[in-house]
Amino acid sequence: MQLILHNISKSFGDLKVLSHFSLAMESGHIYGLMSPSGAGKTTLLKILMGLESFDSGSIEKPDALRISAVFQEDRLCEDFTPVENVRMVVGKSLTEQQVQAQLCRLLPPESLKRPVSTLSGGMKRRTAICRALLAPSDLLLMDEPFTGLDDETRHNVILYILEKTAGKITLLTTHQQQDIHALNARLIHLPVTGSH
Amino acid sequence: MNRFFKNIPQVPWYRVAVIAFWLLAWQLLAQLIHNHIVLVGPWETLEALGQLIPSSDFWLSIAHSFQKISLGFLIAFLSGIILGSGAYRFPWLQEFLEPVMVLMRSIPVASFVILALIWIGSGNLAVLISFIVVLPMIYVNTLSGLKSTDKKLLEMAAVFRIPLWKKIRFIYLPALLPFLMNGCRMALGMSWKSGVAAEVIGLPSVSVGERLYMSKIYLETADLFAWTFTIIIVSTLSEHIFLFLLSRLQRKGKTNHATDPS
Repeated sequence: MQLILHNISKSFGDLKVLSHFSLAMESGHIYGLMSPSGAGKTTLLKILMGLESFDSGSIEKPDALRISAVFQEDRLCEDFTPVENVRMVVGKSLTEQQVQAQLCRLLPPESLKRPVSTLSGGMKRRTAICRALLAPSDLLLMDEPFTGLDDETRHNVILYILEKTAGKITLLTTHQQQDIHALNARLIHLPVTGSH
Repeated sequence: MNRFFKNIPQVPWYRVAVIAFWLLAWQLLAQLIHNHIVLVGPWETLEALGQLIPSSDFWLSIAHSFQKISLGFLIAFLSGIILGSGAYRFPWLQEFLEPVMVLMRSIPVASFVILALIWIGSGNLAVLISFIVVLPMIYVNTLSGLKSTDKKLLEMAAVFRIPLWKKIRFIYLPALLPFLMNGCRMALGMSWKSGVAAEVIGLPSVSVGERLYMSKIYLETADLFAWTFTIIIVSTLSEHIFLFLLSRLQRKGKTNHATDPS
């Protein structure tokens, strides 16, 4: 499966964020998007998620493309537990026990039945990552997924990502070159075009 | 049921002292005025209530009024949620309904009562008045609750293709319920106040409003106070029970999913 972006341009008023950006991605690969803040990484991800329109260009993708995502913010349902948050998106593809077992890979078992609102920032981030990795998808988009994670947790999360993204197109943004290396990702530089 | 009692707040001692002070002041004032037509004290009110309680008429009147007012409230509760949800989904519907809701909120209850008497007579007067008073409150709170829904969560739901019923359960309901409970708290009290006021004007037979009116006609001020006390108790009880059921719904939404197969 391929996903191809042709000459995507996007402006917010007078501010040009993306200018004629092209990219071809194939399933089974991880792509790491690096660029300074404000270069349009989040905008590009939102365009791929279908949450933002683009001014010109085209996207070539399969008709029934299933997307999952780790957003810049965690975007979890705070009143519900990590298990409930994950089950919300996995449908019938995983049982409750399977979801619990998967969550235990990244979270302490005692945190699984607590409302997300009572969890630490790092635990919330790991729940959001788990949700995206367990949801049935062909395209996985992750916007700075390692924010707020210490080195050891980051290492565990990277191993989990490597295990769960087989056969998918994975595109993530990061500020750290070491994440790109650890994930064996193909590096993509998004040029800074911000101009009035 | 234990949870219901847990929900009733523990009254601190100074609150009891404040209530005791005002009861004492009321009793002293009644003794000072010393006129049973103008004012009766708390003790005489309790005595009058003690005489009313054994009579079947007392319970029948409460049952009839409760039935009518609650029916009006429940119809308005459901209609308010449906219309509020519709107005949230279709902005044109909100525009379309706005003048009606403004009118329902601003027209005096007494005017509605007179009109309703002409339209439907006194039999179902309390149903209609309770409905008219409650509907805009539930409508506005439903609309505000749904508008307060986290847009970022809705975007997340769109990306993950979460079906509508799950969006309702996990995203819309948690945003809506606090507003709905607040609206119900106000609406339940208002439905009783307006429903009984309508009965006092329309005088449907065997109703709390009719009993209040009779107390006035026969200058039985103690009965008037006893009935008023009864209305407060019934209204407060129905408020607690309804809000308890709503809070159960909220908890059920949070806990049931753990055993949900999908």
